Amino acid sequence: MSAFLTYLLNGLAVGCAIALIASGLVAIHRVTGVVNFAQGTFAVVAGLCTSSLLGLGFPHGLSELAAVLAAAVAGLLTGLAAIGKRGTTPLSALIVTLGAGVLAYAVEIVLWGDQPRSAPGLAGSVTVAGARIQTQHLLVIGVTAATFVLLALFFGRTYLGKALTACASNPYAARVVGIDVRKMGLLAFTLGGLLGGIAGVLVTPLRPISFDTDVTLIVNGFAAAVFGALTRPVITLIGALLLGVAETMAAGYGYGSHQLEVALGLMLVVMIVQASRRSAISLEST
Amino acid sequence: MIRLVAGLLIAAVTLALPAVLDDSALAVYILLGLAAMVTVGVSLLMGYAGQVSLGQGAFYAIGAYTAALLALNGVPPLAGLVAAPVVAALSALVIGTPLLRLRGHHLAFATLAMQLILLSLAGQLEFTGGDIGLQAIPQFSIGSFEATGAATYAYLTWAGLALVMLVTRNVITSRPGRALRALATSETAAASSGIPVGRYKLVVFALSAAFAGLAGGIYCFYTGYVAPGSFPVLISIQYIVMAVVGGLGTIWGAVVGASAITLLLQALNTLGALPGMPTYAPSVLSYAVYALVLIVVVLFLPQGLLPAVTDRLSRKRQSTPVETR
Repeated sequence: MSAFLTYLLNGLAVGCAIALIASGLVAIHRVTGVVNFAQGTFAVVAGLCTSSLLGLGFPHGLSELAAVLAAAVAGLLTGLAAIGKRGTTPLSALIVTLGAGVLAYAVEIVLWGDQPRSAPGLAGSVTVAGARIQTQHLLVIGVTAATFVLLALFFGRTYLGKALTACASNPYAARVVGIDVRKMGLLAFTLGGLLGGIAGVLVTPLRPISFDTDVTLIVNGFAAAVFGALTRPVITLIGALLLGVAETMAAGYGYGSHQLEVALGLMLVVMIVQASRRSAISLEST
Repeated sequence: MIRLVAGLLIAAVTLALPAVLDDSALAVYILLGLAAMVTVGVSLLMGYAGQVSLGQGAFYAIGAYTAALLALNGVPPLAGLVAAPVVAALSALVIGTPLLRLRGHHLAFATLAMQLILLSLAGQLEFTGGDIGLQAIPQFSIGSFEATGAATYAYLTWAGLALVMLVTRNVITSRPGRALRALATSETAAASSGIPVGRYKLVVFALSAAFAGLAGGIYCFYTGYVAPGSFPVLISIQYIVMAVVGGLGTIWGAVVGASAITLLLQALNTLGALPGMPTYAPSVLSYAVYALVLIVVVLFLPQGLLPAVTDRLSRKRQSTPVETR
C-alpha cells in the first residue's frame, strides 16, 4: 500500500512536469495555431542553465529564476522565427520550430557538452502515511499547482490575459478591436518558454538532462496536450497527471522498459479517437 | 530537346562516377543515392498528398531489418532486397490505416511516435538483436555473382533511384496524380469531386514507405550490419530537410536537395575534423547547418531550391505546380 502511495505521488510529480510543458504547448497553439516542436527545448535550456549557475556558486532561487528567464527568451526567439514573418502557415511554422529545436542542439553542445547534467534540488524526504516521498517531488507538485492558479488568474482577470484569449477564440475579431495579434502570438511563445523553463528547472534535480532529452519531453507534453485537443488547459492538466501516474506505475510494477510505448500508444489512441469525431471541414477554415 | 540532352548528360555522369571515385568518396555517393531515394518518397507524400511524415526513417529501418533478417536466415539476397520494399509498404498500409485519419501536426507527431515505438521495440526484441542489432549480413549477390566492391553497390543504388524516380514520374502524371494534387489543396473539395481521399492517401503513404524500404534494403547489404542506432529520429528530420530544400513535389528537387545536404554535411564533417577543432565540432556544425538551412528555406524559399532557380532562369512567373502546405 505504501509502495502504491509512493508511486502515485511520484507519478503526480512526473505528471506535473509534463503538464507544465503541455500547458506551454496549449498556450502557444491557442493563440497562434502553431504546434511548437521546440517546447521541450525550453525545458532543456532552463535545466542546463540551472546546473551551470549553481555550479558557478550562485544561490538557489536566483539560479532558478535566471534559468526560467533564459527559457522565456528562448521562447521569444523561437516565436520570432516561427511567426515573425507574415504569411507563415501553421504547418510551415511547425517545421520552423523543428529547425529551432535542432539549432538549439548545436548551441547546447557548444555551451554544455553532450553529457547529461544534473542539479541539486531540495534534499531529504518526508514520510506520508508510511510512504517515503522526496521533498523535491512535493516541490514540483506545489509549484505546478501555484503556476496553474496564476495562469488561471492571468487569463481570467488581467487585460493582457483577456487579449490573449480573444486572439485564441477569434483572431479576426481581436484585430478589429485593436489587438495586435502578432504581438500576442510572440507573447504566447514567451509564456510557453516560461512554462517550459519552470518544468525544466523542476525536473533537472530528479533526472539528469542532456541536449536530446527534449524529444522525450515534447512527446510526453504533446501526448498530454492532445487529451485537451490542444486547446483546453484543465483537461490537459488531467491528461498529464494520468500520463505521469500511468508511466510511473508501469515502471514501478516492472514494465519499466515499456514506459515510452505506453505513453506513445496512449497518445495515438486518443488522437485517432478524437480525429474520428471531428469533420474535415472544421479543419479547413482558411 | 534540352531536357533530353540534360537527361542523357546526367545519366552519363552518374554512370561514370563510380569508376573514377575512390572508396571514401563512393561511400558518400552511395549514401547520397539512398537518401535521394527516400527523399523522393517524402517529397511525393508532402508535396503531392500534403501529408507530413516525421517517421520516414522507420520504414527505412523496416526495409533494412527485413533484408538483413532474410539474408541471415539463408534466403537469397535478391529475394531479401525485393522483400524489403514490399514489407515496408505492407507495414505502411497497416500503420497508415488508423494513422492517416490524422492531419497536419497530429500526423507529424503520430509518425514520430511510430518511429520511436519501432526503434524501442527493435532495441528490446530478441530476433532483431536488441541494441547491438544484426551483424555479419552476407554480401549482396545474384546467383553466382557476388557484389564485393563499393562500385557495384553504387550502381545498385543509382539503379534503384532511377526506378524510384520513374515510378514517381508515372504516378504524378497519371489521373491519380492529379487527384493527389487536388486532395493536398482541400480534402473536402477533392472528396466532393469523387476522389477516394482515404484510399489515395494510404496508397501514397505505402509507396513512399516502399521507396524508403528499398533504400534500407540496399543500405543493410552495403554496410553489413543494422542496429537501432543507425536510424535515429534525426534521420527522418533530415529527409524532411532534403525534400523542403529541393522543393516539395518535384522529383528532381528531391535529388538536388539530397545531394546538396549530403555534400554540405560531408564538407562540414571534413571541416570539423580538421586539427585544432574541438571534438564536438562535427556534430555542432551539422546540427546548426541543418537547422539554419531548414528555417531559411521554409521562410524565404518556400518552393525550394530547384523551383526557385529554374524560375529565375526561365524568367517567367509561372504558377507553382503545388502549394507547399
